[in-house]
Amino acid sequence: MTEQRRSLRVGIVCPYSFDVPGGVQNHVLGLARYLRQAGHQPSVLAPGELDPAAATLNVEDFSSAGAAMPVRYNGSVARVNFGPLSAARVGRWLRKGQFDLLHIHEPITPSISLLALWAAEQPVVTTFHTATPRSRSMQLAGGVLSAAIEKIDAGIAVSESARNVVVQHLGRDAVVIPNGIQFDAFAGHAAAATPERSSHPKLIFLGRLDEPRKGLDVLLAAGPLIMESHPHLEVIVAGQGHRPVPPWCRSLGMISEEQKIALLGASDVFVAPHLERESFGIVLLEAMASGVPIVASELPSFLDLLGPAQAEGRLGELFVAGDHRDLARAVRQVLEQPNPLRTARAQQAARGYDWSSVGTAVLAVYRAALSAAPRNFAAKGAG
Amino acid sequence: MNTPEIMSLVIIVVLILGWRITWLATRVDRANARAERTWAALDAALVRRAQRALELVLLPGIDPATALLVSDAAAAALEPNLSRRDREQAESDLSHVLDAVVPTLSASTNKLDPERARASICRRLHNDAVATALSLRRRHTVRILRLAGRAAAPRTFEMADGPELGWLRER
Repeated sequence: MTEQRRSLRVGIVCPYSFDVPGGVQNHVLGLARYLRQAGHQPSVLAPGELDPAAATLNVEDFSSAGAAMPVRYNGSVARVNFGPLSAARVGRWLRKGQFDLLHIHEPITPSISLLALWAAEQPVVTTFHTATPRSRSMQLAGGVLSAAIEKIDAGIAVSESARNVVVQHLGRDAVVIPNGIQFDAFAGHAAAATPERSSHPKLIFLGRLDEPRKGLDVLLAAGPLIMESHPHLEVIVAGQGHRPVPPWCRSLGMISEEQKIALLGASDVFVAPHLERESFGIVLLEAMASGVPIVASELPSFLDLLGPAQAEGRLGELFVAGDHRDLARAVRQVLEQPNPLRTARAQQAARGYDWSSVGTAVLAVYRAALSAAPRNFAAKGAG
Repeated sequence: MNTPEIMSLVIIVVLILGWRITWLATRVDRANARAERTWAALDAALVRRAQRALELVLLPGIDPATALLVSDAAAAALEPNLSRRDREQAESDLSHVLDAVVPTLSASTNKLDPERARASICRRLHNDAVATALSLRRRHTVRILRLAGRAAAPRTFEMADGPELGWLRER
């Protein structure tokens, strides 16, 4: 049987605004870029505007769903769209795009994602990014939501923990495909920066500064304990949001992708002190790809990336989430007993998350979904 | 309340009930159709997997014992008119044989690998579709009004899978 690899028109829906950076947004951009390079025709619908200077996406591959409203949601501030105006925009985009397949991210959020799922006539693939149980709202919203969930042809979860939520709370199943990274961008830079390490060790934190669940407070509480034995330690934090930091900590605010790559490449220890609900941990993976030693809290999604807590073979130093003393111990351990072999293994593991692998896996799910689609759509999936 | 008011109230209630039942029937139909389509896709994916496995025998330098093991398992899976249970057994056996054999091969299996992954994904989609259809069938309204019609309840396909997407890692 011949392999037909026809070009697919893929409509990608991202619920979160492109006006602010975020893991889901980055994932969508990376996916669209991969699809374009693989000869397909992606079209991204998202709130906000694409910054043409910084974007890795063709401007014509992007449609704005309008300005988004900031709403506190899932412990973060999410910018989302809803209401008849948004529904009309989604409808127009769907009609204009004539998509072979829709790939909807985070479908069960009050956003254009749910609206697109509701309106979809073509096969639908969805990606579940968060590991947040939503069974109560599921019951309250009742039949409307169940009917929408039934429209999903193929589910993807970014980690085993995200998949568990899909299975238990939505009663559906999902193929686990991790988030993708541009491995070479991170790994390449790290190699150049390595010799400069270690005179004044640099500790780095990336993530929203003003969101408690990202755990910056734990790191700041641990800082003085680490500096008892490492007085020259430089603590650098970068991310959105405003928060006062002590004088020994340097806050860079929001940084670009290039700055992030350079910063990771020049640092000696990366700390991920997140407290809860981190569904995947893309920055952790980017740090692994950069060849930085890792210190991370014992969250299920981090364990997915670093290996189990007890195993000898784990790829980073773990500490009890929220325990600043344990964090200080872990950082001292990494600084005092460097383990280059482990760091190299972590970098090697991160290579498996490059878009070249992750994108192939996503396309395999597209093809499987299309092969089970009604006849008028299925032709594209043949092969 | 006088008679016309009661009448119109009854009509409204009947309309709402009718609309809800129609909507539920649509969902049941859609779920059944998806279970059937995903089965067709899984069936086709399993056949392609077995065909690709048979082609391993043609690889240069393959030893006769391996060739016999693989061709036996693939031929058993391709046997027409197997009962559901026999098919599940044969496909599981083929998975086990491929799990054992593929890592020992020096030649590239890059035609077979995607088909093994495709079969695993298709099976997951099918069993997921069956679960949705069955949970709708279990509803009181669906059972009492026989909204699922006379069609037999769909069944999940149980077999040992090969690697789902693990093969991507080694590339």
